Amino acid sequence: MATAPKDFRFGNFVGSLVWLIFWIIVIVSLVGLPLIFIIFFYIPLPYSNGEVITPYLFLSMIVDPTRTAPIIKFIIHTDFFRAAVFPGFAFAAMIAATTIYVERKFLAKMQLRTGPLYAGKIEGILQLIADGFKLISKEIIAPSGADKPIFWTTPIIFVATAAALTVLIPVAPGWVGADLDVGLLAIFAILGFFPLIALLFSWSCNSKYPFIGGLRALHQMIAFEIPFILSALSIVLLSGSLNLTDIVESQYSFWFFIIAPLSAFVFYISSLAELERVPFDLPEAESEIVAGWLTETSGMIYGLIQLGTYLKLYVLAALFVILFLGGWMGPQIFPQEIIPGYTGEKIYNATVINGIFWFTIKTFGMIMLILLPRGINPRIRIDILLHTGWYKLIVLAFINMFIVLAMIYGGVITPGGLQ
Amino acid sequence: MAGELASQFTPILYALGIGVMAGIPSLILSRLLSPRKRYNPVKFLPMECGQMPTGEGRSHFMMQYYAYILMFVVFDVLSIFLYAWGASLLAIPKEATLPMMGFLAIMFASMAYALYLSGRKGIW
Repeated sequence: MATAPKDFRFGNFVGSLVWLIFWIIVIVSLVGLPLIFIIFFYIPLPYSNGEVITPYLFLSMIVDPTRTAPIIKFIIHTDFFRAAVFPGFAFAAMIAATTIYVERKFLAKMQLRTGPLYAGKIEGILQLIADGFKLISKEIIAPSGADKPIFWTTPIIFVATAAALTVLIPVAPGWVGADLDVGLLAIFAILGFFPLIALLFSWSCNSKYPFIGGLRALHQMIAFEIPFILSALSIVLLSGSLNLTDIVESQYSFWFFIIAPLSAFVFYISSLAELERVPFDLPEAESEIVAGWLTETSGMIYGLIQLGTYLKLYVLAALFVILFLGGWMGPQIFPQEIIPGYTGEKIYNATVINGIFWFTIKTFGMIMLILLPRGINPRIRIDILLHTGWYKLIVLAFINMFIVLAMIYGGVITPGGLQ
Repeated sequence: MAGELASQFTPILYALGIGVMAGIPSLILSRLLSPRKRYNPVKFLPMECGQMPTGEGRSHFMMQYYAYILMFVVFDVLSIFLYAWGASLLAIPKEATLPMMGFLAIMFASMAYALYLSGRKGIW
């Protein structure tokens, strides 16, 4: 427990605080402020009411709440904000953090347990923060004989790759980090890196269980990558585009789930396999190979890999929503104006807020559906896994593709009817 | 034009950078905060459930389902080719789909034969 050491003196404690504050003031005034001015000198500054916002004006506008609207508007439309905060990394990380907590409570309720209970007054709601502190204060043990550079860098690459996926997801009309013409293919391309990272990490550990787990991850990827890619093909046929925003907008009148339910099923099963979740958690099967490719991870390395895994979970759930469940489409429930008669610079946009709302609701529903099998399914054998992937899912995906093709050429769905 | 196309991808680079910027400080912070006790060499042995590990971790491994890996290399590329056709389906004439059907027929036949061979015992 936390007790004061014997030579503790309150005066020393206050003195150290004062010393700390002194250094913060010195560093901010000598380094921080000049740095801000240098940065503002180089980045293009926005206009507001016909005047260029200089650093001086910027700081005075931040302090004045009535004048911050143009600055916020400028910031939220920069590429960096979109990649880092809203449709990108921070938003996805928040959803990932919520998912971890929800998963633990949800599985506990399914198995008649209580789940996290003590951290935080209500239902262990601060458990995640406690876990974060625990992970960050644990010693990272690199096994002897490990390839140290690879061992230390692969978790970072894992998180970075997962973060790169999150910018490709459109959450509302116009709100996407990278609006690529080949967005779907880009997601497939980036997803293809994960088994390689798993294999690289497991190879670097110089340990047997991680190596078995890494090879299993590789097998799982090759069994389910093709059904995964083919299940999205019928959506591409229907919408005629690889851009994810276009795919959502072509579902204006009906969701593609109605036409392509088999593809949706195949996509769901293969995304379970891509995420290494039960019943396809062979690469990290606890009861067979300790923890699979995560056996030698400890402390923050494990934390980073978990963060990357849950970012991936968010991305695949969001991709299911975009491809099959109409993305952000939903009834307009937010009012057009919050403050009636307000004429100043507007940040609030009813359509966008509505889109974000419906997208988040659907994505959470999908995440719950992906979490569900963990409470009710056993793990399947690796030969059954390969058999499922290669024989059944590919055939199902092709059947749905031919149904869609027949409907398009039979005139049931026309390109005009899709709009 | 080419530069415009390439600049579509810059947010992905930003996100990669953000991921790295989130990862490195957390590892450094963890290194600063965590205890480092290195008096016991057994602690750094690879995990083998309490047994003393024997042999190298990176040994030769029997890849039991090697045939599927060979199939993946071929059919992954073939299935990506279908996207080029699928994305332009609404814009091309109906007759242009016929060669695609031929392609699919070849793909199915070869896939069925490959699955038949990979299911046979004794040749792998």
